[in-house]
Amino acid sequence: MISLRAKTGNKESAGPIEGKLHLEPIVAKRRHDRRPAKVNLILLVALFVSILVATAVGPVRLPLWQVVQTLLHPSRAGDAREIIFALRLPRVLSAALVGCALSVTGVLFQGLFRNPLADPFVLGTSGGAALGGAIGIFLIPSLSFGGFGAMAVLAFCGSLLTMVLVWYLARAGGRFAMETLLLAGFAIGTMLNAATVVFELREEAASSGLRVLAAWLHGQLGVPTWGQIALLGPLVIVAVLLALPVAKRSNTLALGEEYAEQLGVNVGHLRIATVILGSLLTAAAVSFGGLIGFVGLLVPHFLRILIGPNHVRLLPAAALGGATFLVLADTFARTAFAPTEIPVGVFTAFLGGPAFLYLLNHRSRESAQ
Amino acid sequence: MNPSVLEFRNVSFSRGSKLLLDRMSFAIEKKEMVALVGPNGVGKTTWLKLACRLLQPTSGEILLEGKPLRDWGRRELPRTVALVPQELEIPFNFEVEELVAQGRVPYQKLFGSNRPFDSAAVESAMEAVDVLRLRHRVYSELSGGERQRVKIAIGLAQQPQLMLLDEPTQHLDIGRQIELIALLRRLNESGITILAAVHDLNLVAENFPSVILLTPEPAWIVGSAAEVLRPELLERAFCVEKAALAQYCIEPSSDGRMQAW
Repeated sequence: MISLRAKTGNKESAGPIEGKLHLEPIVAKRRHDRRPAKVNLILLVALFVSILVATAVGPVRLPLWQVVQTLLHPSRAGDAREIIFALRLPRVLSAALVGCALSVTGVLFQGLFRNPLADPFVLGTSGGAALGGAIGIFLIPSLSFGGFGAMAVLAFCGSLLTMVLVWYLARAGGRFAMETLLLAGFAIGTMLNAATVVFELREEAASSGLRVLAAWLHGQLGVPTWGQIALLGPLVIVAVLLALPVAKRSNTLALGEEYAEQLGVNVGHLRIATVILGSLLTAAAVSFGGLIGFVGLLVPHFLRILIGPNHVRLLPAAALGGATFLVLADTFARTAFAPTEIPVGVFTAFLGGPAFLYLLNHRSRESAQ
Repeated sequence: MNPSVLEFRNVSFSRGSKLLLDRMSFAIEKKEMVALVGPNGVGKTTWLKLACRLLQPTSGEILLEGKPLRDWGRRELPRTVALVPQELEIPFNFEVEELVAQGRVPYQKLFGSNRPFDSAAVESAMEAVDVLRLRHRVYSELSGGERQRVKIAIGLAQQPQLMLLDEPTQHLDIGRQIELIALLRRLNESGITILAAVHDLNLVAENFPSVILLTPEPAWIVGSAAEVLRPELLERAFCVEKAALAQYCIEPSSDGRMQAW
């Protein structure tokens, strides 16, 4: 067998044709850090530290050692215990769960649509979940298997239906047109938000449902009960674990749906699994914090720069990184303008909006070339 | 007798009301190197997709190694036949090695981890098409010729018996075309049956012993290059006058076959 490769000194030149065929620098370096264990360890430490710091920071500032001590000996009574277990920790944990759920959903949807702009907020599924949740609160409050549970189930249905709808609108000729996908998501998301506002107007002022709704539309994380965390926490963690094998196949899907099919991947099953897991995670996130936009876009994008696009490496990093990001963002949102709290959704929109526009511009330039 | 690698038995295919393939029958034996020739839109891509079950024939039967295509398992099929598509757009900055590794997907269980065997297959696939030094380059930043070789590497990582290539020489300059055909010949000599859709008739005449000509009637002609690449057949297939054809064949082939026009 003739080798196409010929070595001349240190340089490698190639080809059976004479002369130098390849003018670029020779062996390209690995551009992404391939040690996911290291990256994940750093992110895990960052998550723990940010949870501790976020628990310490607030109107009453607690020293870090006191936070650690109280967490280690929760039975010891005191003011710090009240603040930490009744107020701070539930909120911080819900921020971590929401951030984790949203950025993992981002990774899943971006893999499915082969598009870095796909995010649950951009695609309108967050809006669908919010409408579903609103229906749960106002129309059928009697349907109460745990109150919060009913809302979360309807949020899941809303998110799933929106996803299916956007899917069929955006799909033409076996592939997704980026414009159609984004516009369909935008239109449906806006319609659903508008429908949610109708509930807001119908209701008597000061009803507790109304406050929940207003917080939802702005992306405000409240202080959840421990019951809510016990319900949705394990759900988010299980969904993230189930997403790992999906992520492995998302790498194959990067070659295109038809190519993946040719390589023996059941693309139909992959699609269904992605949409169900994504809707589940979106619904969990929306039940806690409403419409917190762009987390699923910002976090995966930033991590892709660091560790590359391989979904198997990206997914765990996005879970940890997303949680850390939202814990820090929410801490900033509730303390930066104290005593006024700005909703964390407003803060992420300020960060994520420009990032979205940058990516959009970048991509349309690329496709124009 | 060993069964043919690929056999079409009375295969018809129509899309909508348009009949693209009419009762086609032929067989490709092991280690053959076959060119698929025909005008644009005649259904060459469709034909290749039929041969790897991405499309189902309207009627008739396709056999791979003597076994009907529909009886092959989902992951069993891509271990025997690999399709190298015409266009491959990759979103995100995937590195060459990560893409070539996807050729191992038919061998991997969903929950299994990478086995050394897989890494070795990826390594030798990259080596065979000389993309080892591109392994950490981003696919979307490669040149046309490099992309073409990476696509073939993905197919080689599948370790197939039969490789289907859709216009592998498209968008390549003459040097890269010759390089690529030389690569296909080497793969063929190492035991892989090659079936490639190729536009350049000079390349076909010089390198492919057998030719399948698809014409818009729909009709098809299968035979050796000398049998199929005849002016009167090409004239019908490409719907041009003989004189006009000669104008586009300015480069005579080594044995002067094209020069005769």
